[in-house]
Amino acid sequence: MLKVGIKYCGGCNPGYDRVALADYIRESLHGRAEFVPLDHEHIDLVLAVEGCQTCCADLSSFEGKQIYFIAQIEDAGKFLQDF
Amino acid sequence: MIRLNPALTSNITESWRFPMALKTAEQYEDSLRKLNLVVYMFGKKLDNVVNDPIIRPSMQAVAKTYDLAHLPEHEDIMTATSHISGKKINRFTHIHQSLDDLVKKSKMGRLLGRATGCCFQRCVGMDALNVLSIVTYNMDKELGTEYNQRFLKYLEYVQENDFTCDGAMTDPKGDRSLPPHRQPDPDHYLHVVAQRDDGIVVRGAKAHQTGAVNSHEIIVMPTVAMREEDKDYAVSFALPADAEGIVYIMGRQSCDTRKLEEGMLDRGNTFFGGHEALVVFDDVFVPWDRVFMYKEYDFVGQLVEKFGAYHRQSYACKVGVGDVLIGAAQTAAEYNNVAKASHIKDKIIEMNHLNETLYCGCIACASEGFKEDCGTYSVNSLLANIHKQNVTRFPYEISRLAQDIAGGLMVTLPSEQDLRSPQTGKWLEKYYTASCDVPAINRMRILRLIENMTLGTAAVGYLTESMHGAGSPQAQRIMISRLVNMAEKKRAAKKLCGIGEEC
Repeated sequence: MLKVGIKYCGGCNPGYDRVALADYIRESLHGRAEFVPLDHEHIDLVLAVEGCQTCCADLSSFEGKQIYFIAQIEDAGKFLQDF
Repeated sequence: MIRLNPALTSNITESWRFPMALKTAEQYEDSLRKLNLVVYMFGKKLDNVVNDPIIRPSMQAVAKTYDLAHLPEHEDIMTATSHISGKKINRFTHIHQSLDDLVKKSKMGRLLGRATGCCFQRCVGMDALNVLSIVTYNMDKELGTEYNQRFLKYLEYVQENDFTCDGAMTDPKGDRSLPPHRQPDPDHYLHVVAQRDDGIVVRGAKAHQTGAVNSHEIIVMPTVAMREEDKDYAVSFALPADAEGIVYIMGRQSCDTRKLEEGMLDRGNTFFGGHEALVVFDDVFVPWDRVFMYKEYDFVGQLVEKFGAYHRQSYACKVGVGDVLIGAAQTAAEYNNVAKASHIKDKIIEMNHLNETLYCGCIACASEGFKEDCGTYSVNSLLANIHKQNVTRFPYEISRLAQDIAGGLMVTLPSEQDLRSPQTGKWLEKYYTASCDVPAINRMRILRLIENMTLGTAAVGYLTESMHGAGSPQAQRIMISRLVNMAEKKRAAKKLCGIGEEC
């Protein structure tokens, strides 16, 4: 099962409820993906949940990993479709 | 086990009382309970500051700065990596190491302003730490003193214990036309009254101290540029907030005693608030390891100026508070079923225009910052002063528009007790329900919030603090006048219209 880590931006002025959207994604992928802590050794995909298009989450520790950006609610639908 | 600096384990620095880095909100509250602060309010000494109903909302606002640091959805802004220990620390104890740090500081202000709807009190200590990191280095470089190493040890102690620090700059000032050494009462500016082998003794006061009784430490700085005659006043140091001889006298806020009433509705903001206090230093001893400036009057000017710039940037928080007020005004309009009226929409647009203009200023001064010789990053001083000058004005206009949209009911509403009363509640339900399906109680709640922010307890932070905090409007205008490059502006103009360089 694909191991997914969720990394948030700092949330200074987010355009939507990032935590609620991430929870929705988790529930939608129940049984299809394993959500793991960010310090997990074998993360396959980092889901960067960003509050706006600036996408300022610090992703420096995930170099070389596959990263998918969510910057608005619509991106979640696309992510779930692509998954 | 927390590593302690032997130099900082003097009798007034009892590190064992605060054994935790990156505290939780609960640990922060517990740590405050261990302090023995001498606090007076309404003429009486308080036994328990943390549980006092008037002070507690302000403690809860500071606690939010601890709480959010533990949440993955805010840690990118709320935490940083210490340049001393390499450990993850709360950003409020961090020394800015990059432009990104400065930008995140502005963003943190907006985040917390919106989360609390008030002043969360912790920025001033962060600004004090950052300016001391610069000025102690500059003093050592020019004078051969050892203040910077002393300061860095203190900083490590603050970071390890995740302290809230009160940055105390503003003296009572007495006769404003006279410098410190010519004041009829010499204590109107805090000054050194004795030098001992083990430290110094200081006397004086610091006024308007935001969050003072919610702080573990108090960092004192001089308040105006000084000459040689003022050298006894050129002193900076840090002390535990409960050091012997420090007395706190709480400031009043408009509508403050509503917090003593039964019920929460009439408070407006049911969770958070701010506070200020007059802090008296009644012959207080400061050990040498906590003295960061002692009579180096030549360096007071840069300390005041650089602190001013940092703290004027800190008014990024008002953008977050503005977010709340705009949201409240829009909600009130919707409850009144007038949100679609063109003049209401235009007023909301204007409020957003003003609020986002403020945001532009605090982001700009951070983005245009620079690296000091010591490695600390400073904000662009001109842009920080421009930002703060806007802050002295725009929240007032945003508040005026919010009151315009809210309507007069905001100040004529009966109390929560009347709503709860079997005799009168039915009438309030009947007459304060608007045409839409919104219960009267929710309409009352949103109006009380607007009242709280524009003329109640939170107006201290959103309005008058915006006016005078980090320097009154004229202080910024003096700095703007000094910092703009007029010669370059004139050169640009003359070049375009054909005037030669010589004219």
